[in-house]
Amino acid sequence: MNNIEKKLLRAIGLAVLLTLNSVTTLAELNVFACEPEWGSLVQELGGDKVSVFNATTGLQDPHHIQARPSLIAKARRADLLICTGADLEVGWLPLLLRKAGNNNIQPGSSGHVMATNFVTLLDQPISLDRSEGDVHAAGNPHVQMDPYRIAVIAEALGIRLQQIDPDNAEHYQDKSRDFMKRWQAAIQGWQQQLEPLQGMPIVVHHKNWIYLQEWTGLKPVATLEPKAGIPPSADYLSKLITGLKQQPAKIILFAAHQNSRSSKWLAERTNLPLVKLPFTVGGSEKATNLFELFNETVQLLLHASQIETKDDTRNSDGASR
Amino acid sequence: MNWDGLDFTIIGPAFLAGLLVLSTHVPLGKEVLQRGIIFIDLAIAQIAGLGVIAANTLDMELSAWQTYGVAAISAILGALLLHWSEKYWKQDQEALIGVVFVLAATLSILLLANNPHGGEYLQELLTGQILWVSYNQLFYILLLYIPLLIFWFISRNRSHSMSFYICFALAVTASVQLVGVYLVFASLIIPALATNRVKNLQLFYAYLVGIIGYGIGLVTSSLTDLPSGAVIVWSLAITGIGWRWVLTAKG
Repeated sequence: MNNIEKKLLRAIGLAVLLTLNSVTTLAELNVFACEPEWGSLVQELGGDKVSVFNATTGLQDPHHIQARPSLIAKARRADLLICTGADLEVGWLPLLLRKAGNNNIQPGSSGHVMATNFVTLLDQPISLDRSEGDVHAAGNPHVQMDPYRIAVIAEALGIRLQQIDPDNAEHYQDKSRDFMKRWQAAIQGWQQQLEPLQGMPIVVHHKNWIYLQEWTGLKPVATLEPKAGIPPSADYLSKLITGLKQQPAKIILFAAHQNSRSSKWLAERTNLPLVKLPFTVGGSEKATNLFELFNETVQLLLHASQIETKDDTRNSDGASR
Repeated sequence: MNWDGLDFTIIGPAFLAGLLVLSTHVPLGKEVLQRGIIFIDLAIAQIAGLGVIAANTLDMELSAWQTYGVAAISAILGALLLHWSEKYWKQDQEALIGVVFVLAATLSILLLANNPHGGEYLQELLTGQILWVSYNQLFYILLLYIPLLIFWFISRNRSHSMSFYICFALAVTASVQLVGVYLVFASLIIPALATNRVKNLQLFYAYLVGIIGYGIGLVTSSLTDLPSGAVIVWSLAITGIGWRWVLTAKG
């Protein structure tokens, strides 16, 4: 019975495969983006010459994803794969590439692009001691929150597009130039708006904001969940709260794809305003592309910084007495 | 509808993985139901995971083979413990299995408290994903399952408690890493449960329910582009209910 079933299924599968292969479209460059920020960037640089598939949404944790048949199908047909790299997708990308068996996007080929390879990474562990070690041996991979690093990656990605699809090289060149012009102008605007937030003390949920901190000058004074996936101990939390009394922060930051429970817990105890940032394209309703992602992040930060915390008034009362 | 994923080269290995898992889990599941120890697979899988985590905490660098070895040895030790407890506290066996499960799960958390990879690691051990399997992996599983199956079907005293617990530990440790805890549980319980009133050829019908469930689940998951493991669990359940319904209608 096993064998008959198997043969039957193989035959059905083969028939479906044959019909599918005959209707593939060839007009556009198929791009497989591991995270939506890179999908958005390729869309900016490629315009109507690329067809982008995002493997994860802005509300998913890119460390883990559930295997769906379409992931393998899309990877199989991709001309270009763009991912963050630096071990962010280490849990599933190697498996997916092996299953896809697509030579265009295997490591080492020009269609295999790891965004973090083009920029310097922060938080690189000095020693690779396991007990102290960081989650990511290559450094912190969450570079998408620094617009300057995005610009560097965009430059490299534009050149890669020209290599992969030389027929449309001029198109990609124009698109890249246009994007760079708009991006640089946008950065100027955001920086002007963020100027007053320089040095503002913040609490972060997890160490995934360091690139935003580096760019904006926000100063992290505490981390709520220093180890990914393992809840902090009672001792750690009590030290955190006493620490915050001595060195008060203005806001608590957490990413839209993270669970808000622990941040809410801290916000209740410290009366600090809680800010949920989109973290990537698609992380909020408004963050529909890279420009909107930063527009909204800047707006949310500005708005939160203007909320006077109850804790502040209590502190100043204490000081005046 | 999404026709992209409906490609035998994508769902084929997953279907074969399903057939392999069913081959051992359907007969084992029958035994599990008879003994009334439904959650034993969760406990055994958790203990296997605990063993690997403990080895890592002791700074042992493990290759893939050694990882399975450590997991299997821990699972067998856990199985022997459960075999022993069944002997002395048969009445409380199911409750004890539950307690063993939470103890193993929480001990893993405690061991990982100082390991920044902790959560990821824990998840990796318990969430094999059926779509990611490769023919290579299937080959190794086959090498393990053939002797297990021969032993199970030839051995006269297979209902002997000790040999059941050891077979179970070995089979489940391998399948959990292949397809994950949910599918292992469903493959064990649903076909056996759907056919436990059948008098003749029960095993044959149980296999049939399992195979149809996996087949429909994989095709549905391709067409709807939903995570395969979860869809197969549901299609197994629906196939099982359908089977029971056909039987009652007939009888």
